[in-house]
Amino acid sequence: MFLARIDGTLTSTAKHATLQACRFLLGQRLEADGSTSGEPLVILDRLGARHGSTVVVSTDGDIARQWLGNTTPARMVVVGIVDSVTLEGA
Amino acid sequence: MRLGIVRGQVVLSVGLPALRGTRLLVVEPITAENLAAGADRGGGKCLIVADHLAPHVGQRVAFVEGREAANPYWPQDAPVDAYSALIVEGVDFRPPATAPLPAHAEGQR
Repeated sequence: MFLARIDGTLTSTAKHATLQACRFLLGQRLEADGSTSGEPLVILDRLGARHGSTVVVSTDGDIARQWLGNTTPARMVVVGIVDSVTLEGA
Repeated sequence: MRLGIVRGQVVLSVGLPALRGTRLLVVEPITAENLAAGADRGGGKCLIVADHLAPHVGQRVAFVEGREAANPYWPQDAPVDAYSALIVEGVDFRPPATAPLPAHAEGQR
């Protein structure tokens, strides 16, 4: 799992059949100093994260398979919306 | 999933039977800078993505990587580690200039 900041949304008409009703957000992975790293990520959200939210993302696809069926390619899922992050010595 | 621009397609002369009916796209991943700039540039390292959606060259797709990329073939197994899950219609991507973690410093709310 990792921290990500939600920086946008994405719309799509043609998608895998299991993803028809899904809401996807655009996020960027966060490092401990708050900087972003890597490329923008398309993340499945069922918790109502918004632009600017910090979220915890899991890359385990099992929960997505439980929600959407065995054939779903969904993988990255928002598993929590962050209230605060405390870093020792920061 | 990551985002990428479709740059082309691979056609096999010989392939494993599990890949029959699968299109193989050449996809260039899109960096945050290029996505925010709305540029038609990707900037990432090209990869081959299995596909059933038939996007055009130049269209953007979101592709999943890892074990989940083979899920659409279930209950069959497929030697696929990247799969295009959706064709992007539009993006609203506005990262802030700088943004610390929430309550990164103690007592900050």
